[in-house]
Order: sequence, then structure tokens, then C-alpha cells
Amino acid sequence: MFEWSEEQLMVRDAIRQFVEKEIKPHLTELEHGDLPPYDTLRKLFRTFGMDAMARDRFERQIAKEKAGDIDDPVKTTLSEGGGGDGGAFMVIPIIELCRYCPGMVTAMGVSVGLTAAAIMSKGTTAQKERWALDLLTLEKIGAWAITEPGSGSDAFGGMRATARRDGDEYVLNGSKTFITNGPYADTIVFICKLDEGNDWPDRKILTFVLDRGMPGLEQSKPLRKMGLHSSPTGELFLSDVRVGRDRLLGETEDVQARSGAKDTFSMERTGVAAMALGIVEQCLDLSVQYAKDRVAFGRPIGEFQLIQLKLAKMEVARLNIQNLVFRQIELARAGRSLSLTEASAMKLYSAQSAMEVALEAVQLFGGNGYMAEFQVEQLARDAKVLQIYAGTDEIQISQIARSLLGS
Amino acid sequence: MNVVVCVKQIPDPATPGELDASTKTLRRSGSIILDDSDAYGVEMGLQLADKAGGGEVILVSMAPNNENKGLRTALAMGAAKALLISDEALAGSDALSTAKVLAKAIERADADLILTATESTDGYTGTIPAQVAELLGLPMVTFAKHIEVDGDRVKVQRQTEAGYDEVESPLPAVVSVTAGVVEPRYPSFKGIMAAKGKPVDELKVADLGLDAGQVGWAGARQEIADVSAAEERKAGEIVEDEGDGAERIVAFLEQLKVI
Repeated sequence: MFEWSEEQLMVRDAIRQFVEKEIKPHLTELEHGDLPPYDTLRKLFRTFGMDAMARDRFERQIAKEKAGDIDDPVKTTLSEGGGGDGGAFMVIPIIELCRYCPGMVTAMGVSVGLTAAAIMSKGTTAQKERWALDLLTLEKIGAWAITEPGSGSDAFGGMRATARRDGDEYVLNGSKTFITNGPYADTIVFICKLDEGNDWPDRKILTFVLDRGMPGLEQSKPLRKMGLHSSPTGELFLSDVRVGRDRLLGETEDVQARSGAKDTFSMERTGVAAMALGIVEQCLDLSVQYAKDRVAFGRPIGEFQLIQLKLAKMEVARLNIQNLVFRQIELARAGRSLSLTEASAMKLYSAQSAMEVALEAVQLFGGNGYMAEFQVEQLARDAKVLQIYAGTDEIQISQIARSLLGS
Repeated sequence: MNVVVCVKQIPDPATPGELDASTKTLRRSGSIILDDSDAYGVEMGLQLADKAGGGEVILVSMAPNNENKGLRTALAMGAAKALLISDEALAGSDALSTAKVLAKAIERADADLILTATESTDGYTGTIPAQVAELLGLPMVTFAKHIEVDGDRVKVQRQTEAGYDEVESPLPAVVSVTAGVVEPRYPSFKGIMAAKGKPVDELKVADLGLDAGQVGWAGARQEIADVSAAEERKAGEIVEDEGDGAERIVAFLEQLKVI
């Protein structure tokens, strides 16, 4: 794949029209947190039939599972793509939304790509029917709760949230932070350690599915943050939340939660490249137009070589990230996915490039770039998170180096 | 109920338009899209066919160079198939020649209702809908803001400057629709994928039983004598409010016949 196909361009154009009409006029409310993104995302899903497609895939998957055919799961995730143009059709909305509202992609991605995917990957058939379908169609909003106040990159090592057996039930305690959709989530995938009185490093990792409003579960208001304002982020507090075994993901304590989380990390990281591409494309488009329009010293600033250098570097970044996204789509079409190390490399490069491009766009716009009206400052604040979430740059570097060194 | 919708594929208004200096016509070599004003007719046709519980929407379009990207957009919205009359001989066709070609193509479609836009976004002649109706010998209702089909009749609310007229006509009929008639849908992902496999039947002028001399430059009865740049928009008038601001605004609007 070296360019978008005619069908993919039609999808892009249709999504772009939707974004121009339904999102761009409400950017201020979305940015200032007065307007949660969920109704707009649901409209996006309904308008383009993404909810119906998700329901079809889900029903085929469940039918197969009930027929005992569990070795050939129906593809549901970005990295698996679903064959054909499925991968591209999942990537294109991410790119187009990120031209204006990267936070909406985070809110959508965490609900569908992390929360639902975790249940679809490790849950029982009954658990999938109970929780996953509503998340895949965005009828309900999901949160994936792993990070804690004392554990970020070292998610499992520093984890202090616990589950304690009590008869046929478990009692959950602990707090989670930086949880995307946390304030509004209907369904929460909660990851914690089984407390059997043993040392912390030896404790099993368990995953539970919780519902909004359960006794002992408190969801905070949205946290104030640097950017990504259209993605509500919050804290979760669990105080003696009692759950039955039916809420234990997979209904067994022997699910390999660590490997499941690593699959999730890989998928999350590849999604960041598409987000970076949307931010870079928008910064470049805005910068080129500004370089033509803005006059200084009697001529358009695009005639100055220092400005040209900025534009040329932005284009190089755009081409490189686009090629990485194309590779991802091709792999999905072939029924393959990136290894964790490849996904880390892709994420590291894309996130750093998006940050550099967005900051250069702010610089190119000068004083106007520092003003909200010209949008590039918002994209610069939004781009920063790409270097932090889904694994910091430092974690990606360490992952890549360990793989190269075989350690 | 089968609904024919006449659609035009036009140069993308998002890219700067260019005139061919020798022919004084618009260059059509760049990116081509479905004319936005035709999306309303496509949507109306889809809704009427759906409400009737059967039938389909058939697109009829004319282009000199096999272009079908705009048709794919309308097919992705849900139209069943398209008839594309594509022939080098069509280059330079005036409004009447275009209407002759469209009318001949529509005759092949077994239509209960023919929908058009009021005018295209690139040519703006606004004459083709009535010419098509006349050539087909069918009744014509223009400027529809609301359409209902009741048995073998069509009921139309026809937009006027003062409000709207309620008009009824027997079917088949030609109806031109305004942008207020319905809100066009976005093509769904499934629709876009399905559009690739929908039939676009390409016809030549001769297939329609027309002579090449009746269309294109050869058949044109209308000549573009001259083209000049539009006058640049003048800066607005700034009026300082000296206590009579409201009166001066009213006088200004009255002068424009807005109030």
C-alpha cells in the first residue's frame, strides 16, 4: 500500500465532512470540558454504521463460540483489522478526528479498543454478552483501570489495589488514577492483585468488571489537565466493593492477565501512530496556509528559508508516519499484527514527531500560535500526551533496546 | 417505485476552478465530485422508494470522460445503479443538448418520478429540469421543499418568495428539489464498500439514438461570447452611531428590500 484507495478516500471525505459539521463548531465546548464527547461519538458510530458493523462482528463471534469454534475468532481489533479494508476503516476516523479533537479518539479508543477488547479477549461468552456488545457499539462507555497514584509505567510492580477472597465473593479495595472515561464510565475493567497474605511481587493479577453505581465504587469528577480536554480523565476509589465470581474476567484466577495487558499495550501503541498522523496533517495544512497568508517584511513568510525548513520537516514527518500507518494497515490485511517491539518503535517515532511538528507549528505562527484562536496551541498540548500515555517514550526506548539486545 | 435522479459531477469547489481560454468553459480535468445540490435529490429519492416499500433509485448523469467518482458517492448513499452517458462528442454541450441526452437516458429507466436539483453548482443555468420535462412530455413541478407520493400522484410543497404553494401532479413527473427538501445522509462504510460493486452502465450518444451533430460543440445553440472576472467585493460601509443607528439600519435594509 502506497496511497489511499478510492474507497478509503471516500471514507475519509465522509468522515471529514462529519467532523467539519458536527465537531468543529463545538470545539470550544469540547475543549473546555463543558461537553462530554460521548453523544457526538455515538452519532459518528450511528451515521457511518460502525455500531451495526460492530454488532454483526460480535454476533458472529458469539455464534462461533457457542458452536465450540473458538480457534478462529472473528477479528475485532485495530491490529487484527478484520481483513480487507477493515484496518483502514478503523484508522481513518482516528486520523480525521485527531485533526481537531485527539481527546475524542482517546475516549473512544479506551472504551472500544481497551475496555471492550479486554473483555472480548479474556472474558467468558456470558461476560462478553453481558458487557462487551454495549461497549463495542458505544451504547455504554467503558474505562480500563490499571494506573494508580504510585504506579504508572511500573503498572504491575507498584500496583496496590487488591482483591481478597471472602466465601464465594471477592472484596475489592484500592484507588486508580488517570483513568480515561473514569468520571462517566458505565463499565469498568479493574485490574488488581489477589491478596492471599503473600508478598506483593508474588501476588496473582486479577481483572474484574464493575458497573457504575456499585456500592463502594466512587468515580471522581474530571481532572484538570494540560490538554486532551475532550477526553474526560478521572480517579476511581474502591472501598470494600463486593463482587461475585461472575465479575472475575474469565471466571478463573488463572487468566494470564499480564500477557493480556501486553497485547493491549501493543494495540494501544499502534493506534497512537494514526493519532499522530491526524495531528501532523492538521498542523501542516494550517502552517502552509499561514505561510502563504502571513506577510512580514513585505512578503509572505513562506518565502523565508527558515519557514521553509519548518514546513519541509513537517512534510518529512507526515510522510514517515503515513508510511508506518500504511504498514499497519497492510499487516492487518494480511491477518498479522505488529510485535510489541515494532509497535513501540512506531509509537516512539510518531509521538515524538507529532510533538515536534506541533511545537514548530506554534513557532511558525509566532504570537498567533500562542493564541487559542489559531488551534495549533491546542494540538501542541494534545500531542504531548502521546509521549506519555500508552507507555512513555522512555518505556518504548527500553522495550526496543531490550529486544535488540536479547535481554 | 422507481425514482430517477439526475446528478452532475462537477470540479471540486474546494480546489481553485480554471477556465479554458479557448472554449471559455470550465476545465474538468481535476478532482471531480458529486454536485452537493444533487445530494438532496438522491436522499429524497431514497426516502420515497423506502416509504413506497419497493423500487430503487437510478442515477442518470452525463460526462465527457467516463468520470464516475461522483456517481460512486451517490451509489454509496444507497442508489441502486447508474446510467452514465460518456462520449467525447458531448464536450461543449449547452443546456438543451444536455437535456436531450438526459431525457433519452431517462426513457430507458422506467421511472415513476424524476428528481433533479434546481440548478447545478458549476453552471447555474437552472433550465435543464424544465427542458427534460418538456422533452419527455411530462408534468413539471419546480422548487420542491417537501414531496409526498400518494398512489399515482405526487404532492409537492413548492417554495415561493412568500411561503409555499401546495401542488399536485399525476405521475410520472419531473420535480426539481431545493436544498431544504431533506438532509442528505453520509454514506456509511458498508455503503461505500457496496458502491464498488454496483452497476454503472456507460452509454454513448449513438446508443441513445441521437446524432453526434445534435450534441456537444456541433449541436450547441448557445455560445459563450465573453467571460470576465467578477467584480471584487467592496468593503462594507461603516456608520458611526450618533443616536440614529437603529433608524439608519432600518433604512439600509429597506433599501435592499430585505424588510
